[in-house]
This record gives sequence, structure tokens and C-alpha cells, in this order.
Amino acid sequence: MMAIDTEWRDYDVIVVGSGGAGAQAASVAAEEGARVLVVSKDPIGCSDTKISEGIATVRASGADDDTEEGLSVNLRMGGGDLNVAAITDAFAEDSQAGYDRLRTQGLRPSIDAERHTPQSLPLPLGGHTKRRSVGHKNSGIAFGHASWHAVIQESRIDYLEDAWLLDLVTEETGAAESAPSRRVVGGLVYDASRGLLVAVRAPAVVIAAGGLSTLFFPKTDTMRGNTGDGYAVAARAGAELVDMEQVQFLPFCLASPPSYEGLCAGEPVTASFLGVLRDRNGKIILDGVYLRTRAECSAAIMRAVEAGNGSPNGGAYLDMTANKKQPLSGPYFMRFLQTCLPSAYNNARQALGKAAGKCEVEWEVRPGAHYQMGGIRADEHGAAVGGDGAGDTALGIAGLFAAGQAMGGVFGANRLGSTALTENVVFGTRAGRAAAETARASRAAPDDAAFAPLIAETVKRFGQKGGEAGSALKLELQRESWDCIGPVRTAARIDRMASLIGEWRTRLDRVSIPVHAVWNQAFVEFAELRNMLETAEAVATAARERDGSVGGHVRLDGRNISAFSTPYSTVVRRDADGGYRVRRVARPRQPLKRLVSYKMQENWRKLQVKMLLMMPKGMQDKKLEKRYRAIMGASGKAPEIVPGGAEGAVGEATRA
Amino acid sequence: MKVEIVTHRDGEATVVDYDYQPRVEGERPMVLDVLLQAQATEMPDLAFRYGCRARNCGVCTVDINDKPRIACRARAREGDRISPVATLPVLSDLVVRRDGIARQMRGRLSGGAQGNDLNVEAPEAYHDLTACIECYACLDNCPMHARNFAGGLPADMPEGHELPDPGEGYRWGNPFSLLKLQRIRIDPMTTDAGREAALDHAMDLGLDACVGCPGCKCGVGIDLKGQVVGELLAAAGDRLPDGDG
Repeated sequence: MMAIDTEWRDYDVIVVGSGGAGAQAASVAAEEGARVLVVSKDPIGCSDTKISEGIATVRASGADDDTEEGLSVNLRMGGGDLNVAAITDAFAEDSQAGYDRLRTQGLRPSIDAERHTPQSLPLPLGGHTKRRSVGHKNSGIAFGHASWHAVIQESRIDYLEDAWLLDLVTEETGAAESAPSRRVVGGLVYDASRGLLVAVRAPAVVIAAGGLSTLFFPKTDTMRGNTGDGYAVAARAGAELVDMEQVQFLPFCLASPPSYEGLCAGEPVTASFLGVLRDRNGKIILDGVYLRTRAECSAAIMRAVEAGNGSPNGGAYLDMTANKKQPLSGPYFMRFLQTCLPSAYNNARQALGKAAGKCEVEWEVRPGAHYQMGGIRADEHGAAVGGDGAGDTALGIAGLFAAGQAMGGVFGANRLGSTALTENVVFGTRAGRAAAETARASRAAPDDAAFAPLIAETVKRFGQKGGEAGSALKLELQRESWDCIGPVRTAARIDRMASLIGEWRTRLDRVSIPVHAVWNQAFVEFAELRNMLETAEAVATAARERDGSVGGHVRLDGRNISAFSTPYSTVVRRDADGGYRVRRVARPRQPLKRLVSYKMQENWRKLQVKMLLMMPKGMQDKKLEKRYRAIMGASGKAPEIVPGGAEGAVGEATRA
Repeated sequence: MKVEIVTHRDGEATVVDYDYQPRVEGERPMVLDVLLQAQATEMPDLAFRYGCRARNCGVCTVDINDKPRIACRARAREGDRISPVATLPVLSDLVVRRDGIARQMRGRLSGGAQGNDLNVEAPEAYHDLTACIECYACLDNCPMHARNFAGGLPADMPEGHELPDPGEGYRWGNPFSLLKLQRIRIDPMTTDAGREAALDHAMDLGLDACVGCPGCKCGVGIDLKGQVVGELLAAAGDRLPDGDG
């Protein structure tokens, strides 16, 4: 008898993931008449969307002259021109309709009675050129309810939770050159709650399985489930991944106590005017923190760690005591800190104690992984593409779609604040619709033989022996990922990672897995570890090719890639033999005028810091009081910011 | 710090003693930290759910000394007994099968009409209910939910009764499903017919079980008795049998 049985099912569309993107893809595909299966390893709607700050970008929510072109350019300037223009255009085109879709699922913002629109936050936040960010009560949880409703209420959607999509099944199309040579025919799922493999025949699959931050656990503020599953299954099916080196790290996450490790404690801007970074000897390693980019802050911390001057938990100290000590501006600073990023402040106060909460002592901080900007290479409908430039679906895989964090090309080298929740619904909707269309046009019945090798291989894993523990290997991989492909990288370390991945792959086959079929934790660890290894290799391969620092990618042994140089994206692809190949794809650069203006603003900012620091103390305090009053206005509250957003790091802001 | 972890494999429960090693001096670990360390050391295949580690995602609920707690924000204490949530059937170790709850809501969620003006403010109570993270702590001591298991817990089903199939959705409701229905009822986008339908669903899920019940406890502090159960009971009025009034 087999250790685990296989059940066969037929659908038009499989959606992998039930968060902000997957829920929308599924509900749209169902509305279009498709029979949909949602495969979700966590409970429905329990995703990064649910635990986010709950702020969405809605074009024209705050200003009538907020054009689609303006928003699209805004995204590309923010992303260092690595983004695909057709994709940022689509984002700008659909942000309102997408948001309204969430409202039909129960998302209820405050309403601007005068303008008869959702109420946008009071200022055009940092990197956004217009007021267009809408906040919500209960943060991301409000969006989680919308995802839940989208899946549960649609009767044409079937769903499996506690279910892992193990791999896609594809076959040759035998088509002429103008069409893809391979197409999706379904996938194999491990349904842990029933203890079954489910072989699903379907002509279209939408991958909305989130990101990869768990590669860096516990140095991350995201959901545990971000094990790179979407990237890995797509890569194994032959799809291309773009900009995989672009992992966004927040510089100021907590390093201790262990329960709070990785959670966000602040952003460069929350350090305020006099916040500095110090090493363990008290030496200032970065001043003017509030005007720095996240990458600059992360690099300063990690350089101190490299030099042996890091804090006990491998970070550095964010010292904001000078802000607090100012007689006039000190109280303003405290209100600013407490109100501009309240969730982060609460994390820090709870984790580090009362004195830290009052900024009487410095905070130990360390970077943490937050968001993957790269992902499955797709067009503006989420369809997998290959080839040069923006890509061509004829060189992609027919029937394969991506949405949300799993999809690349939307944000390039940096993501503007409040855009991820909009990205989810915009590209979830587009991918769901396109997948339903593909299913309608599909006639060929798949050959069940295409599933056979995968099923046989998977069944054999139950009962695999060898003495290795998947959970322990995961921890090893996570430690090395941090050191080698984490917030700072060098060629030597990336190479070390590549060779370690080879060893882990061998050990993967020696992970012990008992035979029981229902919720086999060892099998789950194995399956996720396998995906994390695949993803780590994709990141390492792309990071090796990108030989300088840009956006989320910081090279200690390389130069800073100038905004004036010709931008390119990295594209990686897995060969049939499991090796990864990388190439560059050229991107058009912003007009020179915009870039020059950016450079001038950057220099002006740096000069301002110098002037402020050189002022006599009393004058400095008075000047700061005035500035806080200007920021916080009559309400005495700072405008809220989003972790990862451009407004959190004004050093990145004028790029947008 | 010594704790007991109750593991489940193939229907057999085993109590495992685990000695937590503090990672920093004076550490006051959360229960989730204990589980993570146990998995990283002596129990590599220990099965448990977790997600955000910040009390937002709602998936890491376990019973601590027989009371449901959110593991990522519950301090572990010497001698604690960590077991799977008793109100749902166990899959493996500390993992219970959750999907019977959401599935019972299929076909019960529509309330609005197409073409509504979306720019309408929701009442504050709507947002009070949206704070629910779906941790299912509220199933504890719920007489309505217990009807699914012959009035008791899944593990204590009396002879002659079969466990219901969660894949079909549970027949009887719970505070969470009532919260979802009440949320629809106070949504300004819901039509009058939608409001009535939501109340009918609450009745069908067993709202009568709430009559005379001392009330349920929310894992994140929502006033379930006042803002959910009380409101539904008041709306149902005469349709319910007499209880404590």
C-alpha cells in the first residue's frame, strides 16, 4: 500500500495563496465563470496583507489633479527605473477600481464628505507626489476580512487550506514560434488536513503565494509562510524570475528580546533630526539618520558588525536621546515618535522597556527583511513572459500567472509606501481575469502521464530516511542567508552561498520523513526547505550579477550604481539540470532633467544636516521646535507613515 | 523553565516534558518561543501553527493550562501545560483543523446590493467587530459550538456519535460566525433583506443556545456578549424561546 493516496480533481483555474492577491484572483476568475480551486497553506486570508499597516494607495483620493501618468512615473522613479512601464501604468490605471472592489467585500474607510471619496491621509506622504494613501481602522486586519469574504462567499470557488502546492505540471505545446512552447496543465498539492495528495488538472494557475522573507527568519517582520514557494515552483516549471536580488530590508528592526526579534521598531525618519547610530563603543557610525536611505542605515550597521563593533545581537544602537533632551523641542519629538509609526513604537516600548520607550536610553536595532520586490517575470496581466525588454508572453509559459509579492516588475529596486495592498488587488484582479480567459480558450485535455513522475517522486518521500531534520536545516539556511545574501553582500559571500546550497541540496534527500499522511510536519518542513533553497539560489545568482549597490541590494565590495547609468534588471532562469543562469535586461532611463533635480535635492539635504548640527544648541532647539510644529500642526500628531514606505526614508523620497 | 507539551500522532496523545533554556538573562519567553526552541532542539518534527509573532494573524492559538491563548503573546510560566485547542479536532501535535468554522459561513455572507454608493461611513461598532483576528479563542465554553460534538469537546465524543466532517462546514455556529453576521447587519451597505437574512442565518446556526449563556470571551478583547450576541438576541426577540429574558 502507498503511504499516501492521490485524489484527482479538475478545475479551470488554480490560485495559490489566499491573501490580498490570491483572494482577488480567485473571486474575479469565478465571476468570469471559471471553476476555481484556491490552495492555501495558511488559513484563508492569513497573509502579509492581514498583518500589514493597512494603508492603500488610491489615486485621486486626495487631489483631483492626480493623473495616472503621474502615479506611474512616481513608481518608476521610486524603483530606480527597474520597473516595467506597462506594469506601473496598469497599477495607476486600476488603483481606484481595485480599491472599490475591496469595498464591495466589506472594507470600510473613513469618507471625505466634501470630496465624496475615501479619506486620504493629510499630507502627500514623502515619496508620493500627491495625497493618495488611505488608512484603515484595524490596519491590515480589515483587509484580511475582505480577503476572507472574497474566497468564502463565492460559491464557484472551492478551497483547500492547510494545503501546499508542491509543483506545477507542464507539457510541450508543440506550437509554432509565435506561441509558448510549454503550457501549464495543473499541479500537485499536499492536503495536510485530509492526508492526501491532490492532483489537479487545470489549464491556468495564478501564483499569489507571497514573498521570501522567511529565508532571513527571525530577522524579518513578515509572516512565517514566506518561504519563497511561488518563486520556487515557477522556477522549477521553467519560468523566469526578475530582480531577485532586490530584497527590501528595514534597517531598524528589533534584535532582542527573542520574542520581538525582527519586528519593526522604526524607520530612518522616526530617528528624527538628532538621531544617530552608534556602535558598541559608543562611536557614531552614522549621523543625520533621518535623511538617510534604508540601505545607507543598514550598511552602516552591518559594517560595524563586520568590524567586530556590533551590538551583542549583531546590530548597532539607534540613539535618539539627543532629541529627547532638548528643552523646547524634546516633548514635540516624543509625540512625533509615538504618532508617526505607532505600531513600531509600541513594539520597541514593549520589547525594550520603559526607559527605551522614553528615549532615555538607546535602542539596539538590526535590519530585517520586509518585502521582496523581485519575483516571477510577468506582463501587466500577470502572464509569465520571457525574452528581452518588458518581455514577451510567447516566450513564457502558457497558463502561468503571478500576482502580488510573487510577481516582479512592479516596484523595481524600491517600493513606495502603501503600494503593496493596491498591487495585490490590481494584479490579483488582472491575473484572475486573464487566467479565466486562458481557461476558456483551452481545449486540450492534459495527459495524466505528465503528472505520474511527480506523484511517484512525492509518494516516495513519505518514509524517506537519512537522519537529517528539515527544521534544523532551515535554521542553518536562515543563518547563512543572513550572512551571505542578506542586507549586505560581497562576491565572496554570494559564492559561498552558492556552494552551501549545493551541499544542502544533497542533505535535503536525507531528511527523515515518517510515513503518516495527515499533517506530516517533517514533510512540510522538507517541502518548504526545498523551496527556500531554490529561492536562495535565485537570489544569489541575481545578486552575483548585480555588481554594485542599488535599491535594496547593498554590495560592500562594489560601487554605488549611479542613477545616471543605464538601468538594467537581472533575469534568472533555472535550467532543466537545476543550475541557474542569469542575464541582464535593459530598462529605459528617466529623462535627465528629473535625475539632475534629484541629485540637487540630495546634496541640499546633506548640507541641511551639516548646518543643523553646527548650530549653537539653543538656536538648534528653537529651530527644531518650529519644524516639529510645522510637521504636526494643530493636531499635535505626526502624519502616519508605513514601514517600507518612501515617507519612512526621505533620503529615498525624491527619487519618487 | 520546565513545561509540558502535549503532542498528538495517529490519535495518541503524549505528554513531553521540555526544559526551556533562556537565551538571555532574565528572559520571559512567550509560549511560541518555547515551541520554536523545542522544535530547534529536541522535537524537530513538532507540529504547531504560527505566523506573524505579533498577535495579528490569529493562527497560533493553543491551550495553555486548558485555556485558549495566542501563543506569540502569552508569557510561558514554570509548569505550563501546552496542548492543542480543545474545541477543534486535532490533526497533529498542537495543530487543529480550523476550516469547519469558515466553511459553515459559505452562502451566508451576502448582504449588499450591486451599484451601492461606496462612499458611506460605517459606524464605529463596525470597526470594533473588524478587530477580530479569527483566533478562535471564543469557541471555548461555547454551548452553540459544542452542539457539533454532542454538547462536549471533539475529543470526548460519546459512543454512538461520529465526529462531523469539517470539510462540510459545522452545522452549529459560534461567536466568530455570529460576529461575521452581526458585522453584515451593521454595515451601511447592507440592504434590509440582507439584514434579515443575516439574522435568519444566526437563528439557523443556533442562536437560541445563547439564551441564558453567561457569555463568551474574545482573544483580542472584543465585547462579544454586548456587541454581537446581545444585539442579535435583541433583534431576534420573540423568535427565541424564553431564557433569562
